[in-house]
Amino acid sequence: MIDDNHTKLAAVFSEALGVDVGTINDELSYNSIPEWDSVAHMALVAAIEEAFDIMIDTEDVIDMSNFAKAKEIVRKYQ
Amino acid sequence: MLVPSACKNTLPNTLESTLILNQKNAVITGCLRGIGRETLALFAEQGANVWACAQAADEEFESFCGELAAKHGGWVKPIYFDLTDHDAIKGAMRSIQMDKKPVDCLVNVAGLTRDALVHMTTMDQLRQVFDVNLFAQVLITQYLTKLMVRQKRGCVINVASISGLDGNAGQLSYSASKAALIGVTKTLSRELGELGIRVNAVAPGVIDTEMNAIVPRDILASRVSRTSLGRLGGPREVAGTIAFLASDLSEYMTGQVIRIDGGMN
Repeated sequence: MIDDNHTKLAAVFSEALGVDVGTINDELSYNSIPEWDSVAHMALVAAIEEAFDIMIDTEDVIDMSNFAKAKEIVRKYQ
Repeated sequence: MLVPSACKNTLPNTLESTLILNQKNAVITGCLRGIGRETLALFAEQGANVWACAQAADEEFESFCGELAAKHGGWVKPIYFDLTDHDAIKGAMRSIQMDKKPVDCLVNVAGLTRDALVHMTTMDQLRQVFDVNLFAQVLITQYLTKLMVRQKRGCVINVASISGLDGNAGQLSYSASKAALIGVTKTLSRELGELGIRVNAVAPGVIDTEMNAIVPRDILASRVSRTSLGRLGGPREVAGTIAFLASDLSEYMTGQVIRIDGGMN
């Protein structure tokens, strides 16, 4: 299940941020690339909610600072 | 000279129908009575489907929702939650998300007042009013605009008040909360515009609702005398402007606060 989440979440990140899926790893962080700015963050969260059919609390939206953290947050809501 | 490379100079195709909200899906809070109830009715008449939010289950309200759906052909789904309960708000918004239908419009109508002069206003009263009139509205907006972001379209309409624009003696909590809601409206219009979401507010004046029914008659008469039209406004008249802001007729409007006050000075 963890591997499924990683692959699926990487696809969501790739689509939402407009970056190659090969560039996505656990260290990819908010504001570390131009594509992941504050506006993109909102679109990214919305994409994750839709893909995983979850509703993320504001505290977790704020806490979603990198890809690894995003995986952890998605697991929390499953 | 600015070259309007992306301007639109045509009305949207949706206006080929005479229903200005045809097949739009809207969430409306405060539907039990007053402006919210009239907004629900008008939205249904104009072709919208509505998640009709109220505080607690009510037989008459359920019946009203059923009648609107039967008469106008759309669906009207009652949703109940307490605006002071953030877990209940989240649960309600999650149930809307799970309906898997686009959310085109959010109308934040619900609100309350605890009238008192400044030296008679307790911090508890202030918190109570802000809990319902501001924090709940912001929380609902946070949840639902995330759904709108995926659609790259949507609109939010906040029911503020002229009290939030001009102040009103004896309404410190209420006017402060409505002024804050106006600030939220303008800020969100700037944050969400590039994501395709419009955010506007209406500022009703003296409207014939239960909230004004308890105002002493001489004070009410004095307020009415300050209007150019010389009368109370009806909740339906507020609903009309809300429907306009929800429709494609106002596609190029965002960040606005529309006074509906009979020309009050």
